[in-house]
Amino acid sequence: MDRKTILEQGLLLAYLLDELDGNQREQVEQVLAEDPVLREEFTRLEADFENLAMENAIAPPASVRKRLETKLETTEQPSQEGIRSLKGTKTYDRTRLLVAASMAALFALSTFWLYTRWQEAEENIRLAREEQQQLKETLEILSGEMREVQQLNAMLNDGDMIPVLLKGNRLSPEARAVAYVNHKTRSVMVNPKALPPLSENETYQMWADVDGEMISMGLVPTDQELVALAYIDRAESLNITIEPKGGSDHPTVERLISNAYL
Amino acid sequence: MDENLQIERLREGDKNALYSLYDRYSGALFGVVLRMCRDRGMAEDLLQEIFLTIWEKIDQFDPSKGKFYTWAYRIARNKTLNALRKSDPLIQTEDMRVYKDIREEETTQDFEALNGVVMKLEDHHQKVIELVYFKGYTHREAHKIMGVPLGTFKSYVRQALIQLREKYPTAFTLLLLCLDVIEHG
Repeated sequence: MDRKTILEQGLLLAYLLDELDGNQREQVEQVLAEDPVLREEFTRLEADFENLAMENAIAPPASVRKRLETKLETTEQPSQEGIRSLKGTKTYDRTRLLVAASMAALFALSTFWLYTRWQEAEENIRLAREEQQQLKETLEILSGEMREVQQLNAMLNDGDMIPVLLKGNRLSPEARAVAYVNHKTRSVMVNPKALPPLSENETYQMWADVDGEMISMGLVPTDQELVALAYIDRAESLNITIEPKGGSDHPTVERLISNAYL
Repeated sequence: MDENLQIERLREGDKNALYSLYDRYSGALFGVVLRMCRDRGMAEDLLQEIFLTIWEKIDQFDPSKGKFYTWAYRIARNKTLNALRKSDPLIQTEDMRVYKDIREEETTQDFEALNGVVMKLEDHHQKVIELVYFKGYTHREAHKIMGVPLGTFKSYVRQALIQLREKYPTAFTLLLLCLDVIEHG
């Protein structure tokens, strides 16, 4: 069925008047739901007939509304009516009714019990899954931390590793950093966690002093546990300065906050 | 108050919402029911029943399928036709002549005259609207009452709807669209 058929056969009016059989009604409703043009046409038809009915309205006597109100007030509790009507019907076999009611109650109870158990089981599974996910995440975090600790441990236990404590001078008396220098593996790591935080436009930078010349070893961000820096041959001391963001080619010596001899 | 809101409140069991809808639509529905059954006492009982049904079955009203008034009109129409069938066994027969005798040839009562835009239609179009909408006849019954072939009657219906559409102000553009659809698909 399509819009054309519906309009040509006058089915829209028949639908409005509720004259279609179930099958036809469903078909018309389906086309109405899918076809906005037909839908609009039906809405107009409804409006026309509503206007028509309003223009031809006849006021009912006020007693009808009063009766309606009374009726609604008295049927406030439909459940009681239901009980009354059961009592009034004597054709029912009381025993059979009781058996049926008991069975229905038993069935309802067992269904409810099973449903509750099912819901509990679902909830338990959900909780178990959440717990498993949390454990997995914790395990990953712990594994990561353990790897770091192992690395740190391996580094610290290395006989060739020399720890160097860098203390802050009067410009930054609170500052502390530990550098781990290994001449054999030619590596330098720094733990910067005890350096005071800087503004966004500043950064710590580390320098190696070689024959009186400061050579950059790299920037030292303070949000990391260990920072790998460049190993510089023949370094005599390690120095930390505060530099503009991004670092400098030459150290701002006025802002040297710490140094340590090797 | 907004009708949708009233219907929503009616669904929640608010009697005042029902009374508001009653105040708005009882006249229109009473006009239909009274013209259909031609008996004031019966029409008043039916009107009360119709609003009780609206109260009880409002959950079955689906606004996506049409307007509230259309839904209420269908309830009114079906209830009245059922009541007429029950009240008079002759109407249950398939003999349209008997049907016609009972429902058409009584003296015309004062409430039956139609008003408004429908009076501007040609006589046979007025009759079509009256039979189909205000008397609740199916097309198959109504064409016999008018004494014209079913095909002719259906043409009258279509013309009457188009004229109604023309007389009510909002509709002209859609009428053209409708005609276009009818002519070209």
